[in-house]
Amino acid sequence: MAGVTLSNIRKTYGTLAAVDDVSIEILDGELLALLGPSGCGKTTTLRMIAGFVAPTAGTVRFGGRDVTRVPVHKRNVGMVFQGYALFPHLTVAKNVEFGLKVRGWDKAKIAARVTEMLHWVQMEALAERSPRALSGGQQQRVALARAMAHEPEVLLLDEPFSALDAKLRGQMRTEIRELQRQAGITSVFVTHDQEEAMAIADRIGVMNHGRLEQLGSAEDLYKRPVSRFVAGFIGKCNFIEGHVTGPGRFETANGQALQFSGEHSIGPAALCFRPEHGVLTPLATPGNSLPVTVKAVTYLGPVTEYDLVSEAGNRLLVSASSSGEGAPKEGDKLSVAWSIGDAFVVD
Amino acid sequence: MREGRNWGGSALVVPALFLVAAFLLAPLALILRYSFDKYDPVKLMLGIFSPGNYVQAVADPFYQNVLSTTAYIAALSTVIVMLLAFPVAYYISRVESQRLRGWLIILTMLPLLLGNAVRSAAWMIVMGTKGVANAVMLGVGLIEEPIKILYTPTAVVIALVSVLLPFAIITLQSVMDAIPTSLEEAGQSLGHSPLRTVFEVVLPLAMPGVVAAAAISFALAMNAYATPVLIGGPTMKMMGPAVYDQIAKANNWPFGSTLACILMVVTLVLTVLSTRFLSRKYF
Ligand SMILES: Nc1ncnc2c1ncn2[C@@H]1O[C@H](COP(=O)(O)OP(=O)(O)OP(=O)(O)O)[C@@H](O)[C@H]1O
Ligand SMILES: [Mg+2]
Repeated sequence: MAGVTLSNIRKTYGTLAAVDDVSIEILDGELLALLGPSGCGKTTTLRMIAGFVAPTAGTVRFGGRDVTRVPVHKRNVGMVFQGYALFPHLTVAKNVEFGLKVRGWDKAKIAARVTEMLHWVQMEALAERSPRALSGGQQQRVALARAMAHEPEVLLLDEPFSALDAKLRGQMRTEIRELQRQAGITSVFVTHDQEEAMAIADRIGVMNHGRLEQLGSAEDLYKRPVSRFVAGFIGKCNFIEGHVTGPGRFETANGQALQFSGEHSIGPAALCFRPEHGVLTPLATPGNSLPVTVKAVTYLGPVTEYDLVSEAGNRLLVSASSSGEGAPKEGDKLSVAWSIGDAFVVD
Repeated sequence: MREGRNWGGSALVVPALFLVAAFLLAPLALILRYSFDKYDPVKLMLGIFSPGNYVQAVADPFYQNVLSTTAYIAALSTVIVMLLAFPVAYYISRVESQRLRGWLIILTMLPLLLGNAVRSAAWMIVMGTKGVANAVMLGVGLIEEPIKILYTPTAVVIALVSVLLPFAIITLQSVMDAIPTSLEEAGQSLGHSPLRTVFEVVLPLAMPGVVAAAAISFALAMNAYATPVLIGGPTMKMMGPAVYDQIAKANNWPFGSTLACILMVVTLVLTVLSTRFLSRKYF
């Protein structure tokens, strides 16, 4: 097993940079999620790791080995495709066996490995079935067993859950996470679903327009987003436009002074806080509150969401646990306050 | 479900079905009937029913020879066609640019727009003793004297292959289009080279297309008429021209019909046998 190192990889199609100068060090045994909106270059990055796409520039390394110019079939990767791509003309067992004979394994070793893999994904009973006669979840398990049978150095998964319904999706991602841990294999997993990425990845790389915006744990990304894009993409976030006037000091567009934690250079920026960190109160405190009007109240069971609009016209969102008596109503004029420690600034 | 079935719709199909059946089956039935009749120089046909023509045709070394030559030429052409059509169809079906793909398909079909006679005439110009092929080979010093290409079995095979290729390519390409490229990528990710993936993934999945294309090619080659006559010349005897000779030149409708029926049955049997062989190997 080995980690994967991407150094300044780029892929351009004509004038479009599908992947633009991305560097990531994926640790040995780690499950890394590549997360981002449609068209941001996730699949292209994954396909460069697999070897289906040759980078325009940069290098791909498995462990210490430079594999940038090595074709797919000599890279020793395992891949789970979107839609699984099981061979319809072969049985489940033959699908799992597909990558073994070509490696010159002897018959006994192949048979033992196929049995082992099918046992691992609990598909022994269906070994002689055609993949066409399997449910989505079963197909996915076979795809995983097939991808892992030849003991690849790296496991790559492209939106592996997108074909499943919501309930099965949750179940399968826990299952894949467990199997990946057991095998201890370095894995890269592509998704545009932030909840999915946060649920199973050790670290998440957030991509936008071909660039890697931020790489870190789910908590890092949520608590310390480095850009407006990451702040808005991972969870919900309130943005108050204005500019930084000094260390920890911020001024809104209509001149109100606010404070924040962390560092930021002086200049135009946005002050942010998460909806669950906001509190609606009748009292205005200087430095960390804004007068607002309640525009809409959405009851979501355990929490209630309040759509607010500030005097400067900023739309803000606050979520609070639902309480019966004295809860704010539409049209109420209040203040939204937050603790300075929860306020951060992005460009 | 069954009760809800719309029989009214099916009823509309019936007249069309009869019409097609009449056009297709009536001539067949007629030929089958003629084939058991007997030729008479005066009355043309006696109106009797006897297997005499079949006995005569099967026992005659001349027709045995014509039939085996026909089957041999058709089989050889089919094999060559399939070997050429498979990679070309694969290339067309996998080419990335949709524009190029469209042009390639049009280019493939283009020869079909020429009539059989025009195409054969073109081949005659190319393959004649003073033709283009000889001129080129003489020019580059490949040969010292013009060689005989036209009016040989080789020439017939070359010309047949050129007629059959478009059918085979288009048939194969449409089947290959339905094979997702992700299956090939899966094969490669499992350690198979791109070429090996074609044999282990694309070929088995394209087998229905291979069988169909080969069956079409073989049937067309067995029944070829213009190509053997024009390119094969007077000494080249194949079944299509032989049937025509009996009916049009000798006026022997019964015997011509017998030859036609034998040709049909042999084509059918060989096609079915080879199809079953291929199917058993791959499905
Ligand atoms: N073969 C190609 N030729 C031209 N452009 C391409 C090609 N492959 C990808 N692109 C472009 O590169 C960009 C990134 O594509 P990519 O498939 O990596 O996105 P993605 O993040 O996986 O998106 P999605 O979530 O929709 O799958 C897109 O703008 C896409 O149109
Ligand atoms: Mg994608």
